[in-house]
Amino acid sequence: MSEHARDLPARRQAQQRADDIRVFQAELARLEAEGILLLDEDKRRTLTAHHESLLAAFTRDYDIDRDSRTRQISLGMRVASFLGALALAASVFFLFYQFWGRFPETMQLAILISSALASLGLTVWLQGRDASGYFSKLAALIAFACFVLNITMIGQIFNITPSDKALLPWAAMAFLLAYACDLRLLLTAGILCVIAFVSARVGTWSGVYWLNAGERPENFFAAAALLLAMPCLTVHRHYPGFAAIYRVFGLLTAFVPMLILGHWGRASYLDLGPELIEGGYQLLGFTGSALAIWIGTRREWPETVNTGMTFFVLFLYTKFYDWWWEVMPKSLFFLVLGLSAVLILLILKQLRGVIGHSEGESLP
Amino acid sequence: MKIRTTTSWTRWHTLFAGAALIILSNAIALSGVAVNRSGEPESRSMLRERELVLPYGGDRQAENSGLALRLNWRILDADDEYPDYGYSTYGARPAWLDATRMAALGFHITSGKVTPEAREHFVRQLPRQVLVVLEFEGPAWRQAVERARTSTARHAAAAAANPGSQEFAKKAKASRDGLSLEETHASRLFAIDAGLDAKALRARYPDRSRHLMLRGTVRPTVRQHDEQYRLAGYLSEIIIDQVNVPFALRPLLEPLRDIGRPAPTERTPRYQVQIAIGQRLEPWIESLSAP
Repeated sequence: MSEHARDLPARRQAQQRADDIRVFQAELARLEAEGILLLDEDKRRTLTAHHESLLAAFTRDYDIDRDSRTRQISLGMRVASFLGALALAASVFFLFYQFWGRFPETMQLAILISSALASLGLTVWLQGRDASGYFSKLAALIAFACFVLNITMIGQIFNITPSDKALLPWAAMAFLLAYACDLRLLLTAGILCVIAFVSARVGTWSGVYWLNAGERPENFFAAAALLLAMPCLTVHRHYPGFAAIYRVFGLLTAFVPMLILGHWGRASYLDLGPELIEGGYQLLGFTGSALAIWIGTRREWPETVNTGMTFFVLFLYTKFYDWWWEVMPKSLFFLVLGLSAVLILLILKQLRGVIGHSEGESLP
Repeated sequence: MKIRTTTSWTRWHTLFAGAALIILSNAIALSGVAVNRSGEPESRSMLRERELVLPYGGDRQAENSGLALRLNWRILDADDEYPDYGYSTYGARPAWLDATRMAALGFHITSGKVTPEAREHFVRQLPRQVLVVLEFEGPAWRQAVERARTSTARHAAAAAANPGSQEFAKKAKASRDGLSLEETHASRLFAIDAGLDAKALRARYPDRSRHLMLRGTVRPTVRQHDEQYRLAGYLSEIIIDQVNVPFALRPLLEPLRDIGRPAPTERTPRYQVQIAIGQRLEPWIESLSAP
């Protein structure tokens, strides 16, 4: 088997092709039943043999899910792999804590570095043999845990001043393993490290101690901009879902600070009255979430639409709470919430109609 | 059937990139340790159990076989009635950390009267990392002992003047216990100054065996006394306040680990520690022995 034979983009493409074959076969059966398309026996045999040959080869080379039953079992395997990885990563941490004090410092260092290298080697070795990818993903999470433990413990053993710079190698390792093993959980870990590092750096520019940078929510905006730009800067054609994760975390990193500042103006850098700051961020939150819905709809990014919609509703409901919770009877307050949800539904329905119409016109 | 992909990244690339990252990260971290411990330490002092305490036991320690001593530092509060029981390691408001010192540490201070707006503007500022000078067995500690003696004498006099009063008798006993604690068990390591320039601080405190310099964080706060407000600082933490005990030096401490801290009536100290603080102001234990 070549180095590329079990690479993840190819596996995804094989799975996509197998799914397309299944959909094609179902639709062909419908068309034949309705008498619209009837294949002669020779063509049918050739087509069936071709599909069977393709599916057999994909199953052999990439361990794909051939039908809905294997797909369900695969889902269970993914859950088991995720939980197993978390438990094993925790086990690595506790195992080291339980025994590290019994070894001299050089031995502690040797154990930490060799466990990080060995778990990385195991991940790569499994990647070449595990066509399904579940075991290599599990090993990748352990490799990341070993590396985090490695750097953390060196700090503890030698009393090193805690630094935000440790987040950089962690992020690099998380991204490396995430792209190598198509692992979204590690992509999330890498993104969280980047968010923490960038916000800490922005905070330290104004002299603030890096661990306190989170107390100024505006420090997160630079990280949000970086994450939203990432899918544009790099090609994620072979990593379906990765660009969406960048966009979701980019939007979260922008909207959560806006939501906080919209209700706690004192946390802002701006030297203005808290009410003015809160009003400004509420307006920015509404505009930003509406913009996310619009861009998401235009670009067909469902996760962007959903995140924008969630925050638009959150901004709206928190505003309703500020205005009316104290002055309205609760029944009326919840009626207003319900009616506003209906209004949002109507607007979205209208928007869907407009998009459907414009797409219909643009078709050749 | 093989699918063609355009990526040229192989699993060997992953292995080499990952291994390089692991080795490089460790090399950078360890070279920092080597730089810190190179040459003559920035300061070096022989501390006792009073200043470097064993961790509390319990479940948290049960599954951690490592051992670190906690730096037990204190401050001399402006209010001499303020009791700290010799263990003020969770942040404190030292008398010397006033508005002038806070301005020198980089905090913005509004000139003129301390109006509610000025207070609001001041306390909104976030903590900053500073260099803290810790004085061992110096004037600050002697002043703390003197305060405890004065307090004991005052409470003893009050109890003598009110012979039937349980309350005065209790206060007098508590004060005597406080003095005993101060003289024999309480930490003699006091945070006495803070700054941003290590050289300037060292020039002001040249005794490297008595004055240790470590990184800490300071947060703005407001002191209130008789409706008067003053801008001040809160020394939140010493960033490295846990010092790992090297494997070779642990045998002396292992038997003491599960016993806990000594009672006021017990003999102390049970151990003494030579601590060094290096070029990057990171501490380590050089030796550990029975006194």
